[in-house]
Amino acid sequence: MAENIYDSILKQIEGFDPSVEAVEVGYVEVVGDGIARVSGLPNVRFNELVRFENGTAGIAFNLESDNVGVTIMGDYGEIQEGDTVSAMGRIASVPVGEGLIGRVVGALGNPLDGKGPIASDEFYNMERIAPGVMERKGVDRPVQTGLLAIDAMIPIGRGQRELIIGDRQTGKTAVALDTIINQKGEDLYCIYVAIGKRRGEVARIVATLEEHGAMDYTTIVMASASDAAALQYMAPYAGCAIGEWFMENGKDALVIYDDLSKHAAAYRQVSLLLRRPPGREAFPGDVFYLHSRLLERAAQLSDERGGGSLTALPVIETLLGDVSAFVPTNVISITDGQIYLESELFYSGQRPALNTGISVSRVGGSAQTTAMNKVAGGLRLQMAQFRSLAAFAQFGSNLDRETQRQLDRGLRLNELFKQAQYQTLAVEEQIILIYAGTNGLIDEVPVDRVGEFKLDFLRALRGQYSDLAKDIRANTDKRLSEELTARIEETIQGFLQTWS
Amino acid sequence: MSEVQGSITQVLGNVIDVQFPEGQLPDIFDAIRVPRDDDDDLILEVELLLGDSEVRCVAMDSTDGISRGIPAFSTGAPISVPVGEDTLGRIFNVLGRPVDNKPAPEDAPERPIHVSAPSFEDQSPKIEVFETGMKVIDLVAPMTKGGKTGIFGGAGVGKTVTIQELIDSIAKEHSGLSVFAGVGERTREGTDLYHEMAEAGVIDKLAMVFGQMNEPPGVRLRVALSGLTMAEYFRDTGKDVLIFIDNIFRYSLAGAEVSALLGRMPSAVGYQPNLAEEMGMLQERITSTRSGSITSMQAVYVPADDYSDPAPVAVFTHLDSTIALERSIAARGLFPAVDPLGSTSNILDPNVVGEDHYRTAREVQQVLQRYKDLQDIIAILGVEELSDDDKLLVARARKIENFLSQPMKVAEQFTGRAGKYVPIRETVRGFRMLLDGELDHVPEQLFYMAGPVEDVLERYEESQNEN
Repeated sequence: MAENIYDSILKQIEGFDPSVEAVEVGYVEVVGDGIARVSGLPNVRFNELVRFENGTAGIAFNLESDNVGVTIMGDYGEIQEGDTVSAMGRIASVPVGEGLIGRVVGALGNPLDGKGPIASDEFYNMERIAPGVMERKGVDRPVQTGLLAIDAMIPIGRGQRELIIGDRQTGKTAVALDTIINQKGEDLYCIYVAIGKRRGEVARIVATLEEHGAMDYTTIVMASASDAAALQYMAPYAGCAIGEWFMENGKDALVIYDDLSKHAAAYRQVSLLLRRPPGREAFPGDVFYLHSRLLERAAQLSDERGGGSLTALPVIETLLGDVSAFVPTNVISITDGQIYLESELFYSGQRPALNTGISVSRVGGSAQTTAMNKVAGGLRLQMAQFRSLAAFAQFGSNLDRETQRQLDRGLRLNELFKQAQYQTLAVEEQIILIYAGTNGLIDEVPVDRVGEFKLDFLRALRGQYSDLAKDIRANTDKRLSEELTARIEETIQGFLQTWS
Repeated sequence: MSEVQGSITQVLGNVIDVQFPEGQLPDIFDAIRVPRDDDDDLILEVELLLGDSEVRCVAMDSTDGISRGIPAFSTGAPISVPVGEDTLGRIFNVLGRPVDNKPAPEDAPERPIHVSAPSFEDQSPKIEVFETGMKVIDLVAPMTKGGKTGIFGGAGVGKTVTIQELIDSIAKEHSGLSVFAGVGERTREGTDLYHEMAEAGVIDKLAMVFGQMNEPPGVRLRVALSGLTMAEYFRDTGKDVLIFIDNIFRYSLAGAEVSALLGRMPSAVGYQPNLAEEMGMLQERITSTRSGSITSMQAVYVPADDYSDPAPVAVFTHLDSTIALERSIAARGLFPAVDPLGSTSNILDPNVVGEDHYRTAREVQQVLQRYKDLQDIIAILGVEELSDDDKLLVARARKIENFLSQPMKVAEQFTGRAGKYVPIRETVRGFRMLLDGELDHVPEQLFYMAGPVEDVLERYEESQNEN
């Protein structure tokens, strides 16, 4: 025993290298509100990580002629005037790789789930330059959200940026979570970035994902409401870097930023406290760039770059449905489309509360599976016509039979689009339902029983009719053959005869 | 002039202060280079002389890793970009460096991106109609050769698709030279455009410059000038050239982003105080001279669909024609979603376009305006309650609305219809026939997404034969 200790001491003495290392230090002059002003540090670089005497990290955010403005990424209560600050010689970075799958980490990649250190030996800078014009290719593969209304009318492709926007309590996070849950077995790694959310809420989200087996391919990045504003500001960049690792290694990843409104507010706080001048709505001038450089990093890489993809689903919370506020319009003009959720629809029972009129997807159409594209092609315009007809019909005018029929179908389709949380649908199930709704196969089902029909029929489809589902699934990459449509018709008619 | 060494004194985001030896200050708009260990030099552009031999600059790349005290060298000249034949078929960044994985053009002449606008006496007074092949534009907001057109619209109403259609049809029909400046838009759209042009085989007549929204504000503030400089060279060597800018609003936005950091007071809605002047300095250079012409088409993003926002307002004065894209028209599936009552052109004048064209366009607008006035009555009482004259007018107005839509080449993947180019003569004739009642017997849906009036008649005949 004593021998051992002696040996190890000897080894350590042998390994001692008496070189002197010059470390550049600065001293804290002012501290408070998550910000410190530091003198000294003459060679600190812009956005370099620094460390305070007590171990708290910070980022050199403003390099002014006589001091350095540092945002503190942690508790600033224990930092004292005169404490030393040392530059760490590297830009803020996070661990990346497969070791992050199934983990909950903070904005700096530090583990928060008590499952020990992150198994990773690779680091990516949080701020990275987005792939350029020649490094990309067209978006042509789908991300199935499992939500019928979205996959049919506002399809999302891999490498696309699709905004989820709506007031609070309209089901934005629910759409995001359903999308993650539906990726089981789809080879799509998910990263959920929680910004400014309650810790309890995030814990519930993780529990839900675990329950559905979704943590096997998901990473959670969390900067909760009680974390420093600087951490909330960095979290999406960290999540994006984690996703980029998958993209650059030829895999597909999906990152959800929930939500960017709180992110912008955190950035505003940091900027204003560092005395950067305010602009519109008191946001700093570069708040557009804050989000554009983040969202541009989502891409479908060209084949030369490995063909990986990173899809981004940013979330924006609006106030009283005002999509024309500064941050919402910015993000709308950055993304490739938006999923607009409305509280009126939500409370009238239409959930997901999707407003199909102003929701769009600019690229998703070419990513939809062919069978779905053929079945659901004109559906969005059809629903637009239905809504204007429905408004017109309120005047109580006498409707001809054709118009009445169109109204009835619209009503039934709307019922089909209603979908409970965590009840995602496979693509073949979606195709069959849309085909049934648009081709009048369920015209005889009373509108208030369509929901019931849907659930019963899906159960049958997963049981006695599973052959049909399997055959359609095998043929999603081409237009539905006449044989298959005939079988769909036959099956539904057969089912309706026994169903009551 | 040899380089002068200075050193960096302050870094605030994308704005950097540099101190130079007394009496050896660079001029405003001069480029300054900052050597970096593992990368190309970082280029800065001088915006302000602060006194005490310090200058304030905007960076043309990310400033991550820059520290105070490191040397910076004034180059004695503004940023310069290659110009001429060698730029065709290539993609450049704001600094004129190629980003298409091909070597930089050798021996290509270079020009600084900051020059004065052509003088008053050089301005070309010529007015000539420029055909685009898009019915609605040619009819109500015709473009001028050597003139300037703005395409206004909120997020997602089809600005970029319209611009790309114009590039596609004009580049093919006119076989002229063109320059595309991508200013602060999506990188993905740049990729799509490049591949489309390459497939169409017109890429070697087009020079492209990109500074997209993933790039820092300094880049987005100057990339329009880089593209414009390439177009100016073609004009000054006696050629007629087209320049497409998507999107000019981002130029103002980039100005606003750096304005506060440069120490300027914010003006209305948080924009920079010199918004109008900044726009004027760019726009006055996009003009035709006695030696050659620049025809420009600029997409203008209208934030939150608010046409009173200071940034789009600053663009209006500089345009010969404005094309307004309207969300409600797009929502009805009518593309291009041009609002025929909100779009204008100052050459829609009988002396320029001819009496026939002028009268047809104005009558089309009259009919549509009357239909708009009647819409409330229709919503409450129904069409049946209208007088016979008004019923006929409503029927014609609906046909006109449909006939103003047109299948676009670049939208084939969305519509499944082949694009159509319609000469102005045909456009005017078609609407004339409609207004004169010669097509009253043709059902309105046959006018939807048609090319020239012959298409409609053909469809009508087919439908007659079927019955």
